[in-house]
Amino acid sequence: MAGILDVPKPRINCSMLSQFINRAVCFIGRVEKVHPTGKMFTVMDGEGKTATVELNEPLEEELSGIVEVIGMVSNKGEIMASTYNLLREDKGVPFDLELYNEALKVIHDFPQHYPFQVAASG
Amino acid sequence: MMSDGRHTLSSFMLSTQLNYMAEENLLVPNCVCVLKRQVTNMLKDGRRVVIILEIDVIKPADASGKIGDPVPYSDGEHFLNIQAVILPLLLVIYSFFSPSFSLAVVRNLKRDFAKKIPSALPDTPGGSSKIVPIASLNPYQSKWTIRARVTNKSSIRTWSNARGEGKLFSMEIVDESGEIRVTGFNQEVDKFFSLIEVGKVYYISKGSLKIANKQYTSVKNDYEMTLNGESTVIPCEDSCDVPMVQCDFVPIGDLENREKDAIVDVIGVCKSVDELTRLTTKSNREVSKRTLSLMDMSGKLVTVTLWGEEAEKFDGSGQPIVAIKSAKLSDFGGRSLSASFSSTMMINPDIPEAYKLRGWFDKEGHAMEGQSLTEVRGAGGRLSENWKSLADVKSEHLGHGDKADYYSCIATIVFLRKENCLYQACPTQDCNKKVVDQQNGMFRCEKCDKEFPNFKYRLILSANIADYADNQWVTCFQDSAEAILGQNAAYLGQLKDSNESAFDEIFQQANFNTFIFRNRVKLETYNDESRIKATVMDVKPVDHREYSKRLIMNIRSMGAK
Repeated sequence: MAGILDVPKPRINCSMLSQFINRAVCFIGRVEKVHPTGKMFTVMDGEGKTATVELNEPLEEELSGIVEVIGMVSNKGEIMASTYNLLREDKGVPFDLELYNEALKVIHDFPQHYPFQVAASG
Repeated sequence: MMSDGRHTLSSFMLSTQLNYMAEENLLVPNCVCVLKRQVTNMLKDGRRVVIILEIDVIKPADASGKIGDPVPYSDGEHFLNIQAVILPLLLVIYSFFSPSFSLAVVRNLKRDFAKKIPSALPDTPGGSSKIVPIASLNPYQSKWTIRARVTNKSSIRTWSNARGEGKLFSMEIVDESGEIRVTGFNQEVDKFFSLIEVGKVYYISKGSLKIANKQYTSVKNDYEMTLNGESTVIPCEDSCDVPMVQCDFVPIGDLENREKDAIVDVIGVCKSVDELTRLTTKSNREVSKRTLSLMDMSGKLVTVTLWGEEAEKFDGSGQPIVAIKSAKLSDFGGRSLSASFSSTMMINPDIPEAYKLRGWFDKEGHAMEGQSLTEVRGAGGRLSENWKSLADVKSEHLGHGDKADYYSCIATIVFLRKENCLYQACPTQDCNKKVVDQQNGMFRCEKCDKEFPNFKYRLILSANIADYADNQWVTCFQDSAEAILGQNAAYLGQLKDSNESAFDEIFQQANFNTFIFRNRVKLETYNDESRIKATVMDVKPVDHREYSKRLIMNIRSMGAK
């Protein structure tokens, strides 16, 4: 867990999963279905596509709404979560997932203006 | 008089749309030109007159004077049928008649035509009569035939006044050279109204021309036509060459620069459309109305209002491309458009601009929020927001003109001056004048000319705000100051006198907050010294969604360049 916190974790959506296999990423999406075992759930991103998240330990609480997951992308394109946090819907401004997706596209279309890698090494 | 090096001919005339070339001295004796488009007419004495429709000056006049040794042309020789010549004619202008003189020549022509002259060519309909371009029509020739497509036809309008009754209809027609507005009155209405269909091509001849009344139409022509007893309108079968419509589209972003009540052509994607509503007019007529939002590649949106049947029939599903000819620009809500009875609306028209828009919209336009020129929410009638960075405000010298300039920006408070931020004001409602402390427990207001035992505290807050580009000193009055400090003036006044540390604390808390400011800047002069003064008109918390959308739109439009 300590290892993953030290590296830059690019924000991605489902269409970018395949480009980040075996890399640490940050994924934001809306919780769709939670597996009965509690160790897996699906999330939908701002474009409407779905990804699967796997956890080390089963969930202890009910998960719903928008969640931010940090983890590694497996060979199968699933996210092996190290940690997650729920974006509370009852507080503050509601999170606009489509707008977040637009911002993601901008960040990936213009990587020269968003040099996140440099920040981590400094 | 013009020469091609071999012959001279003095019967050249400029068509009226090229008058500017004479006025601006673009055509001077001895300059060499290429005659690109013209129409030749024959006078009764066999002389020909060439009317110049398009001419380019390729070499200015120089001292060499005559080129070659041209002799005056006489008609006995074989004269090229200039009508058929598509190649441009190289000519030198030898002498130049002032426009008034050419008119005199023209008037002679008209008298010649008044007599019925057997023309060299028979006037069979659709047959071999010469077709002239709409651009060459002028009031001084009446024997012509044009071939044009009807782009817009009005309904029959009747009137009744002291002089009697009448009816009329009007239409706009277009061909490869241009467009013109055509009106028919009374008997012509009966003759032609049902015959003419929008979108079809007709041969029209012998209408009368007069100077156009530009108030009612965006049609580009100095003249307009009236159908009279001698006019003929014959359907034409072979219409593929005649263009569908002639439009001079204004980018939506440019609409801000146009005068209100201007007549413009626009094209854009219908981004959204509202429900049909019904209103009752002052004359107690019920009319349907529908508004839609049109966006184009400038990234700007404008609201368009449709009326009557057009409103009822309009289907905005699938975000179609909508083109409107002769829409009326109004300053309602800033800038908005209205489709009047003389406007033509086309949905997904078959023209290149429509395809360009469709391609752009499908690729990037659909994601853009667009900045609307029509402020529908809140206080209508305010101009669009004019976002600037604080460096832009200085570099663009906003406020230096005669009038104050307004702009919006997103900035962070970096310093608040807490000394002298409060003053004692007249307690009378709506009077905010500073009162003079009489030192006897009474306070005097000069404006109300009264003394009061009390006052109300009011705020004038001096603050420095900054964004990524620059910083700016601004003055905040009561409302904006209270919003920034999060307390009302009375409470602050009380704290200042009683609990200074709590007073300071409020300023500490207020510092480094980010807001959306709407500011007014103006150059002000105090005793020979001029300084730019900025005042905060309104302060609002940042709406991150709006802000993000705007940033994404700006990034995308910068990336597209």
